[in-house]
Amino acid sequence: MTPLVRHVSFLRAAAGAAAVASLLAGCGSNQPHASARTQVTVREKDFRILVAPARIAAGRVQLVVRNAGPADHELIVVRAHRADLPLRTDGLTVNEDALEPATVATLEPAGPGAVRRVNVTLAPGSYELFCNMAGHFMGGMRAFLVVT
Amino acid sequence: MTIRPSPAFQRLARRNRRVVAAILFTFALSSALTVGLSIRSTTRSEDKAAVVEIAGRQRTLAERYVEQVLLAREGVQADPEVIARNLRASAKALLDGGTAPAVAGDDDDTKLTAEHGAVARSQLEQEILLADDLTATGAALLHHRPVTSVKLTAGEHPPATDPLRRLRVLAALESNMALNATRTIANSTDRNISDLIVLQAGLGIGGLLLSLLLAWALIATTRRQTAQFRSVVQASSDLVLAFGSDGCRYASPSVTRLTGRDEADLLGSGVFAAVHDDDRAQAHAASQVGEPPELVFRLRDRSGAWRSIEAHVSDLRQDRQVRGIVFNARDITERLELEAQLTRQAFHDSLTGLPNRALFRDRLDHALTRSLRSVEPLTVMLIDLDGFKQVNDSLGHDAGDQLLQEVARRFSSSVRASDTVARFGGDEFAVLLEGADERQTIVTADRLLENLREPIGVAGRELVLTASIGVVTRASASDTGETLIRDADIAMYAAKEAGRARHEVFHDEMARELGELLGIEHELRVGLERGEFSLHYQPMVDLGSDRVIGVEALLRWSSPTRGDVPPARFIPVAESTGLIVELGAFVLREGCRQAALWRADGALGEVVTWINVSPRQLVPGGFGALVQEALAETGIPPSALGLEITESAIVEPGSAGEQARRELEELHALGVRIAIDDFGTGFSSLGQLRHFPIDMIKVDRSFVQGSERDAKDATITSNLISLAHALNVVAVAEGIESNGQLDSLRQFGCDGAQGFLFSRPAPAAEIYKVLLDPVVERGSAEAVA
Repeated sequence: MTPLVRHVSFLRAAAGAAAVASLLAGCGSNQPHASARTQVTVREKDFRILVAPARIAAGRVQLVVRNAGPADHELIVVRAHRADLPLRTDGLTVNEDALEPATVATLEPAGPGAVRRVNVTLAPGSYELFCNMAGHFMGGMRAFLVVT
Repeated sequence: MTIRPSPAFQRLARRNRRVVAAILFTFALSSALTVGLSIRSTTRSEDKAAVVEIAGRQRTLAERYVEQVLLAREGVQADPEVIARNLRASAKALLDGGTAPAVAGDDDDTKLTAEHGAVARSQLEQEILLADDLTATGAALLHHRPVTSVKLTAGEHPPATDPLRRLRVLAALESNMALNATRTIANSTDRNISDLIVLQAGLGIGGLLLSLLLAWALIATTRRQTAQFRSVVQASSDLVLAFGSDGCRYASPSVTRLTGRDEADLLGSGVFAAVHDDDRAQAHAASQVGEPPELVFRLRDRSGAWRSIEAHVSDLRQDRQVRGIVFNARDITERLELEAQLTRQAFHDSLTGLPNRALFRDRLDHALTRSLRSVEPLTVMLIDLDGFKQVNDSLGHDAGDQLLQEVARRFSSSVRASDTVARFGGDEFAVLLEGADERQTIVTADRLLENLREPIGVAGRELVLTASIGVVTRASASDTGETLIRDADIAMYAAKEAGRARHEVFHDEMARELGELLGIEHELRVGLERGEFSLHYQPMVDLGSDRVIGVEALLRWSSPTRGDVPPARFIPVAESTGLIVELGAFVLREGCRQAALWRADGALGEVVTWINVSPRQLVPGGFGALVQEALAETGIPPSALGLEITESAIVEPGSAGEQARRELEELHALGVRIAIDDFGTGFSSLGQLRHFPIDMIKVDRSFVQGSERDAKDATITSNLISLAHALNVVAVAEGIESNGQLDSLRQFGCDGAQGFLFSRPAPAAEIYKVLLDPVVERGSAEAVA
């Protein structure tokens, strides 16, 4: 199961068109400027998400996502506007559709032991990372990354 | 004989069987493994299907549990505890194997095997924890205890404020975990099955490749062996022909080489064109019916000569690889020729190439059978060469052999091609004439003698041989071959008796004479025991002084039945039977005894007593000892004894002659005198005489008696006497009968003489008187001669 980056980055609010173009070029080529990226380790386990470091400088960031299991986990990164994320009507899962404009990255579920990397360019702000598999968010799988 | 595979071919066949077995085994093994794997994968997939079903069912159970708790809290009849038990039991069964219980009657208990995958196990373990947390929280809720009092075990942190939401979150976690585990198990099962399929395919392909490899090796080996076999067949000198109902189908290159015909010419009925007319039908029949098992036929080779071919016929019509009749053949022409040669050697005399006695007897028997039918006369002649033994003795065996070969040629050219000349051995020949009457037979016998008359050059000499021929002719043969040969033998003996160099025709009277002859031998033996033998003595006179210088002892036989038998009649018999040895010993002892008596009376003086010694006495050895014994017994000095030997006695070849010569030399050294008797009639070489110690030569009476009238004999006599003088020995003439002869001998310078002119041989008592008055009166005997 190869990691699949569905969305890379849509920084409509903060980034100018030129900046978006440059970001796309950077991500599309999937190699350059690695030395300039800030690496953030995201460790998922039943049922916690640990982010280190939890506070980083804005700019290009590489998230290294490791699933420590035993359950499958996904990872969704959104800009945190409010204190709580909107839930679906079942009251158990996050309403991802409502969060789409704020979504920075989405990683599909992966089995225990999987390590995935995702490159993003993060503007200053607070970001929430969570697993939205049934009950996981509510069961404790949410964490924050502060970008300054 | 049948054709068997050669050992090399058997090895090949065995190896091929092994290879085929290996191929089959490989196929079977890979098939068994594939099928086994199929069964295993099917069983496993069935098991996994049950696992997946139960794992999936956990979601429903978790959701129904929440539902039942809520219903129960609302006071509705529900039994969340049963679902809680089922949920936990199923979760445990999924992990470690066991029975997943039936749920609400919509299914049966399900037997599950333990899960082995590490990921699936960790997820199932987590599911158990979540199920425990869920059911514990549910129980707290039902029993109105604070849900936060339930200690959670799976690392989850559900909301603490809202108990129902907490319960739903736990149910969602459990449900999701069950789904997660189900997916993991299903995926791993898929992987396992696909692995098995890959393994099966690998095994199948591997087995197939291995089998193909073995088959290829088998084919290659078989090809090579077949090629080898073919090359062996092709290089072999053995002739291989294979026949089908349409004639020859295969002819080995050796057949092509032998016959000089192309294979195309040999195929079909072509090969039979090279077979001899007389053998063709049989060879063709054998090629069609496979019999007889062995066959000899003649085949024309490239040079047009007939070769004898021996074929082993094998009926391989039932052999699927041949489906025909095979001739395994060999050229046995040389072998047959060798056999013929051996037969010829068995029936032919190797020296002359003439038929031998066996073949002669065979032809004689056939001729007798024919003669019975045709009533035609049949003649057998036996031929003995006169004096051949002397030739052999004096000139050696090589010369004798040459002589026999020439004689054989002359005899063969003297008869018709249809007649048989055979050599029986030695100097004895036989002739078989068919259809010749007595007159024609005589003509043939004359021709045989006549053709022999021409001198034969052997060993640098010209020899004239004569033969004695015994002839027997039967008008119509009622006799056996044995009888015919015996009668011819009698007739031949008669011819010898009649003076040799002639032929005699058998008549019944001869048989009687022969019987008499054979009787003599017996009587001689008996006579020797009974003392019927005595010695007469004949004086030897010195021609210068007319004094007696010696006496020759001569054997006499007074048979009570035959009267006085002349020596010429019994000496040859004694010679031929070996009785001469005993007679000779008698003469020696008696002569010495008489000499001793005379000497004791003072009658003998210097007179020497001469004893005749036969070659037969000298050859066995020990003669010297015998003489010394006689001398010692009688006490006479060795110089008073003289030995008369023939020329042939001292020229005897080989170690026997060597010993005889040595013994005589020893006796001579003692003083015993030695004379050569019948000098001039033998073939002694001067060289040998010169080196042999002799004292006297006695000139044969035939020359002496002829010397009076025959100039040739006179010359010979003269030369013999001169020769004696040249050798520094005394010459004594034998058989002197007239004064004319005496005159001639005096003229030639002969030293001594003996004969009727001086005295007949006489008994010892009469000779005694002569010795007392040693000057011999002659003339008194002349009237008698």
